[in-house]
Amino acid sequence: MRAAARGPATTGQRASRVLLMLWYVLVVAFMFAPIVTSVIYAFNVGSLGKQTSAFTGWTLDWFGAAWNNVSLRTTIQTSLVASFWSALISVIVGSALGYALVRHPSEAVRRFLTGLTYVLLIVPETVTGVSLLLFYAVTRVPLSLVTLVLGITPLAISVTALIVRAGVMTLDRRLDEAAADLGANPWQALWFVVLPHLTPAVLAGALMSYVFSFDNLIVSSFLTTPQVSTLPVYLYGSLQYGPSPAVYAAAAAVFIFTMLLLGIAALLYRLVQQRGRFSKVSR
Amino acid sequence: MPDTKPNRPIANRLRDHLFAGVPAIWLFLFFIAPLCFTVVFSFGHASFGGVALGFTLDNYATALSGFYLTTFLRTLQFAATACVLCLIAAYPTAYFIARHAGRFKTLALVIVLVPYFTSFLIRVMSWQILLARGGPIEAILNALWLHSGPLDVMDTQTAVFIGMVYAYLPIAVVPLYIVLERIPMTLVEASRDLGSSRWQTFLHVVLPLSRPGIATAVLLTGVPMLGELVIPGLLGGDRGVLMGQAISSQYLGSQNYALGSAMAVLVLIAVAIIVVLLARLTRGFDEVSA
Repeated sequence: MRAAARGPATTGQRASRVLLMLWYVLVVAFMFAPIVTSVIYAFNVGSLGKQTSAFTGWTLDWFGAAWNNVSLRTTIQTSLVASFWSALISVIVGSALGYALVRHPSEAVRRFLTGLTYVLLIVPETVTGVSLLLFYAVTRVPLSLVTLVLGITPLAISVTALIVRAGVMTLDRRLDEAAADLGANPWQALWFVVLPHLTPAVLAGALMSYVFSFDNLIVSSFLTTPQVSTLPVYLYGSLQYGPSPAVYAAAAAVFIFTMLLLGIAALLYRLVQQRGRFSKVSR
Repeated sequence: MPDTKPNRPIANRLRDHLFAGVPAIWLFLFFIAPLCFTVVFSFGHASFGGVALGFTLDNYATALSGFYLTTFLRTLQFAATACVLCLIAAYPTAYFIARHAGRFKTLALVIVLVPYFTSFLIRVMSWQILLARGGPIEAILNALWLHSGPLDVMDTQTAVFIGMVYAYLPIAVVPLYIVLERIPMTLVEASRDLGSSRWQTFLHVVLPLSRPGIATAVLLTGVPMLGELVIPGLLGGDRGVLMGQAISSQYLGSQNYALGSAMAVLVLIAVAIIVVLLARLTRGFDEVSA
């Protein structure tokens, strides 16, 4: 109808759509180029045990080399453990925060907490990192796995809180009230009524905080010691003196691990959404 | 209120206070308190490997002069440029996803976001290979006749800009996508029916309405860029050190905690100013969350 009224406009519209699509495709290529590169170069022969920018040939040796590298294995272990604890803490603290961001009765408290959550996200990590280093130096707490976990939790908490907040926003307030009217105390209402509805958000928050904690580099780099080091910090360090392709092999393995986790997260989310749809129908 | 539940409000209040209090205390202990230490130390007297508490502005005087001032200004300029480049790249992307991708909207958004969830370090270190002499991009550009001979991008500002835009593009796309998706089609049609061209409609209707998204995108990209440490470190070479590297070397290298703290506080002040400016820019709009 409108197309008939404005003949030439549609050509222009089509042209701009094609241009935008072209741009989108370019951006996607730009986004994936480094990832594809890092995976391909994990198979690069390299030269004299170092990675080279020119591809010199295919080999699988570096995966074995990465596996046999003791420091790589220890740091991966540390990373897995540290991000597990960080994710566990942020799921509890971050979910509570996400709930309070929407439901706390006081407007002032809600605004304050919202501000705090955003501040966590935007303060440059370098500043957070040096501050934590200073903090532990002054309070004479020796750096350990515990201080590392405590250092990376704030970021993970704010990520979880924002995801859970989005979930709480879609919740009907009357659910809480109905539960209370039917005799549930606030904790029962939370456990039996609110939490089941928030499961996808909480799970997504848990996995996101795990991924973010596992990947944390800047804050961790200030809090790691030769004894307690994480994979990103170790990889970053090894980049300073011409990395071996084994670093890329380890990176490729981590990439697959992360993709698996995200895939599981997406699947879980789907599943819970479907369950929600069924329960709506039966209601 | 029926009198059958007299103590329910108290229990409710306990829950509310716990849910707000525990996270607040946690974040104060492990985030705000350390930042306060930095602020206090920035006024202290420096000595090697330690700081004598006190009140002096010497550290700020040092941080705002000579090499350190140049570094600070360079960082501001760098972050501003990288942020603008990032927005220029992200806006059409978000626009396409929100208004032209149709039923593939979610998929199109997810595809752009997936790289963001892979390891930051791996993505940045791959640019070392991509941009290096004799690397893949040199080969491609030469093959396309767009460039001839070796590529001299690694260890330059250009490489740092590419890395910054690359690393922050996905988080710029999200808030832009959210606002663009919410702008009602009817508004655009109304503007067109009233006789404005598509370009005018975009400039006077769509762009002003996407202001909160732009502000959020700047907040999530430009502000963290002020402290960026890894990207300039891996791609920028030794010249043109940025604030993040300068601060970190005060702590890990020369052990001048007082000067490092003053520099960190300067970054925080810059952050605060940007946040206030952005809040003004979006006043009157509902908060747009990422």
